[in-house]
Amino acid sequence: MKGSSVRDTNLAFSWTVALRELRGGLAGFRVFLACLILGVAGIAAVGSVTAAIDRGLASEGRTILGGDASVEFTYRFATDEERAWLAAAGNIAEIVEMRSLLRIGQGRALVEVKGVDGAYPLYGSATLAVGHDVSTVLGATAGTPGLVAERVLAERFDLVQGDQVTLGAGTFTFLGVLADEPDRASGGFAMGPRVMVSIDGLRDAGLLQPGVVYESSARLRLPSDADLDQLERAFEDAFPLAGARWSDRRNAAPGISRFVDRLSAFLTIVGIAALAVGGVGIGAAVRGYLTRKVPAIAALRTLGATAGTVFAAYLMQIGLIALAGVLIGVALGGGLVAGLGPIFAANLAIPAKFGLYAAPLAQAGLFGLLAAALFTLWPLAWLLQVRPAELFRRESEMPHRAPHLGVVLALVLLTAALAGAIIGLSATPKLASWCLGGIAVAFIMLRSLGWAAAKLARAASHGPIARRRPGLRLALGAIGAPQAGTPGVVLALGLGLGVLASIAQIDANMQGLLRDQLPKDAPAFFFVDIQSAQLEDFREQVMAQEGSERLSTAPMLRGVITGLNGVPAGEAKIDAAANWILRGDRGVTYSATPPEGTVLMEGDWWANDYAGPPLVSFAEEEGRELGLSIGSTVTVNILGRAITAEVASFRKVEWRGMGINFLMVLSPGALAGAPHTHIATLYADRQAEAPILRELGQTMPNVTPVLVRDQIDRVSDGLGKLGAATRWGALAVLLTGLAVLIGAAAAGEERRRAEAAILKVLGASRAAILGSFALRAALTGFLAGAVALLWGTAAAFGVIVFVFDTSFILPVLATLAILGGGIVLSLSAGLLFALRPLNGKPAQVLRIAAG
Amino acid sequence: MGEALIELKDMGLTLPSSAGNVEILKGIDLVVEAGERLAITGPSGSGKSSLLMVTAGLERATAGQVTVLGQDMTAANEDSLARLRRARLGVVFQAFHLIPTMTAAENVRVPLEIAGADGAEETASEMLESVGLGRRADHYPAQLSGGEQQRVALARALAPSPALLLADEPTGNLDGRTGEAVSDLLFELAENNGVTLVLVTHSDALADRCARTVRLDDGRIAA
Repeated sequence: MKGSSVRDTNLAFSWTVALRELRGGLAGFRVFLACLILGVAGIAAVGSVTAAIDRGLASEGRTILGGDASVEFTYRFATDEERAWLAAAGNIAEIVEMRSLLRIGQGRALVEVKGVDGAYPLYGSATLAVGHDVSTVLGATAGTPGLVAERVLAERFDLVQGDQVTLGAGTFTFLGVLADEPDRASGGFAMGPRVMVSIDGLRDAGLLQPGVVYESSARLRLPSDADLDQLERAFEDAFPLAGARWSDRRNAAPGISRFVDRLSAFLTIVGIAALAVGGVGIGAAVRGYLTRKVPAIAALRTLGATAGTVFAAYLMQIGLIALAGVLIGVALGGGLVAGLGPIFAANLAIPAKFGLYAAPLAQAGLFGLLAAALFTLWPLAWLLQVRPAELFRRESEMPHRAPHLGVVLALVLLTAALAGAIIGLSATPKLASWCLGGIAVAFIMLRSLGWAAAKLARAASHGPIARRRPGLRLALGAIGAPQAGTPGVVLALGLGLGVLASIAQIDANMQGLLRDQLPKDAPAFFFVDIQSAQLEDFREQVMAQEGSERLSTAPMLRGVITGLNGVPAGEAKIDAAANWILRGDRGVTYSATPPEGTVLMEGDWWANDYAGPPLVSFAEEEGRELGLSIGSTVTVNILGRAITAEVASFRKVEWRGMGINFLMVLSPGALAGAPHTHIATLYADRQAEAPILRELGQTMPNVTPVLVRDQIDRVSDGLGKLGAATRWGALAVLLTGLAVLIGAAAAGEERRRAEAAILKVLGASRAAILGSFALRAALTGFLAGAVALLWGTAAAFGVIVFVFDTSFILPVLATLAILGGGIVLSLSAGLLFALRPLNGKPAQVLRIAAG
Repeated sequence: MGEALIELKDMGLTLPSSAGNVEILKGIDLVVEAGERLAITGPSGSGKSSLLMVTAGLERATAGQVTVLGQDMTAANEDSLARLRRARLGVVFQAFHLIPTMTAAENVRVPLEIAGADGAEETASEMLESVGLGRRADHYPAQLSGGEQQRVALARALAPSPALLLADEPTGNLDGRTGEAVSDLLFELAENNGVTLVLVTHSDALADRCARTVRLDDGRIAA
């Protein structure tokens, strides 16, 4: 502090000055408050929604899971020993889930089937729309077994109670609409509407034959004092290689939790981006305020107040305003979610308990205060350096001097604290770090580009391009003027538009991939559950249909990887990217010869007549991620039997091709005698789809056809919803950017008023003046749009190419929309604040300007 | 009798204020002929600057008739007034009012470019040379002293070769010596360019250099 020190600072006096200055109202702080409130409210809202879902999942954990604990089995039910062990621990209920084709008269629908026993559900209640208990209704033994279905299915086929429907080889009576399924959220990705029947009904319909793809789980209702950890360990010790997966109420829906955590982390980062953009507005507002306060500051310094005292006074004043902004933001974000959440809760597929949660609100408040301090301190530091004489000269610009060391240190500490708080409090610190790094890079890049653009504009205003074009010269000169705040506007608008650009481009690429690229290579159908004895008839029947082009089939089993190189899978050191492989069961096939299109990357295929110990050909990328090499061993539990196979080769697998692909292809002998079904893909004309569905439904009811186009539409729809959520987040950043833009436009109004007056004196028409103002706004908007495109496209390119591992296509329309959006927004704000200067009376303006 | 460049007949100016309407100018009758040097003097608040603003078409009279350079200023719209200024009327202010984002040369060029005149660059350089600032052509207003800024403003006002130059306290913001230099330049250039000069001033010395002086008091011509 030149000429001042902390000892000279009179804090009591500073406080008095701060309060007196506050009496002047908040007129100069509208943009400051808007930026802070928007950012903080956004973060508070995202945090509150996440907390509501977390609380909902936690309190409904046992209901969602269907029990205190659940053990899942692939392709099989619990063995008698396993069932006995589990029954000794608590009350047991069993369910089975599969996909199948439901036939209603001539209609067909792929459905998610759930078979339940009489004990279902252990927690919560499964009821029909008319109020009856599902398991009681399904348990009735008279006549054909019963079936209940989700409303969407009943409405699609006009089902009424008593209608006969067919599932597999069995006939069922429709009993009513399923209104409440308490454990719905714990299920995986749904490919169709839910139908529920009894396990016995499924068995009679031939859908639980060996080889059919299904999953069963045994749920447990345990005494309230049961030790879940101890029970899990005991089960794993008793059945170490059973291929069963344990879960319990503490983590009832890990998929949902993970998804919510990631989306929340991403949206919180978007909120931080909004705060960063808002920071530009906050800084500009403080600078503008201090410039207006120069006479008061000059008077205080003349009367003996030290630089430290004046600094403290304005720090206190702005701190109080920031505190008010943060509190309003927290109340707004938290209040909106608590108030409106319950209205939307009924439509949420996941449980959420909306309310006011202290932790996310405190977190939003902390981020807001740290960001406000960070962006306020820099302009405030000017008060520590300015000399009283400079104040009296009323220099319009704050002088550029080497900043005070203490201020630099405080800024470094504040930045570290903010970054530390964001990363430390995030549910996904790694994602938060990457996003934060991305924002920092974008921030520096945009600021530098804005600075360079301002310099360029200033240089161009003196160049040949502006010769004889006073309107253009004025516009370029104004963009390049230090007071114009061009770098700030380019940064704020560019960051908002850039987030929007990258999300729009990622979304467009993903949708394009699903809608345009995939269907070209994708088969029309997948068929599952083809019995070995049916295979030849199936092939003949399908290929006889006009429009059928190509059919591929493969034996299909499912297995869980339980060991790698003799080490239990859960303890093996693997790349985190391969976690998904071990999480559930995976498709397994066998083949004597390399399947069509196989590209061997390493190792050799076994001989046609190989009859030795089991060998496996593994997908190369995934195999490497699991730490496998040629000669490694993999233990796979298939139908309760652990098979250990040696890795003989690695294959290149293109998952996106949507042909038949397997992680593991075993040598035929390894699966000798194991009951299994076949999977098939069929390439066919669109016209062939309906006849194939119809005929197969009649002749081979157990075969489940999956129409690829339907599934692509479902995924595309899901992506669209996700895209909408992220676009809302991006809009928050853009809105803050707009606040900054409006703030800058408003701050420049006085300058434009003076310029308009001078130009009128020199003989310029109103149209020429307005044209010049519009030109500068459009040029600034174009600059912001262009830099937004640059970094937004770079970010989208990175995500599409490196994360989704696919080729990037620049969506031209979205690109032009962003560029046009930048111009339109800037032009609107510019013109909004150009009208008053244009209409101002020159005589009055010049009189005021002369002081 | 020469051609009348300015004719004010029973001209009045009333402006609204928060305390009600204020009568700034009342019943002004004034004729200024081509080639005249007229000084308008009077105490602060007497309406001197307002009279100049009305004459320049920057303020619209609320009563009477105003004819400047043959144009009825009370009937013309804003753009017609702008066209008149760009072609035949120059104004110099006490506070200079240069455009801060443009260099000295660019400031001088602006009225010529607005008027679409040929040889704007050459004329601007000549004008800057004539006010002794040929070497400061590329400097921004903030890099010039007050006297230098006023000389740029003078060059800018005279660049389009106006018939009439209006100057509002042209030396009011300058120290005595600099003010004298600027006023010397003002009269010299007006003479050389054959421009009719009307200037508002507090300075008796400056008023004495004009052939005629009109004194305003409380919005009326006192003498």
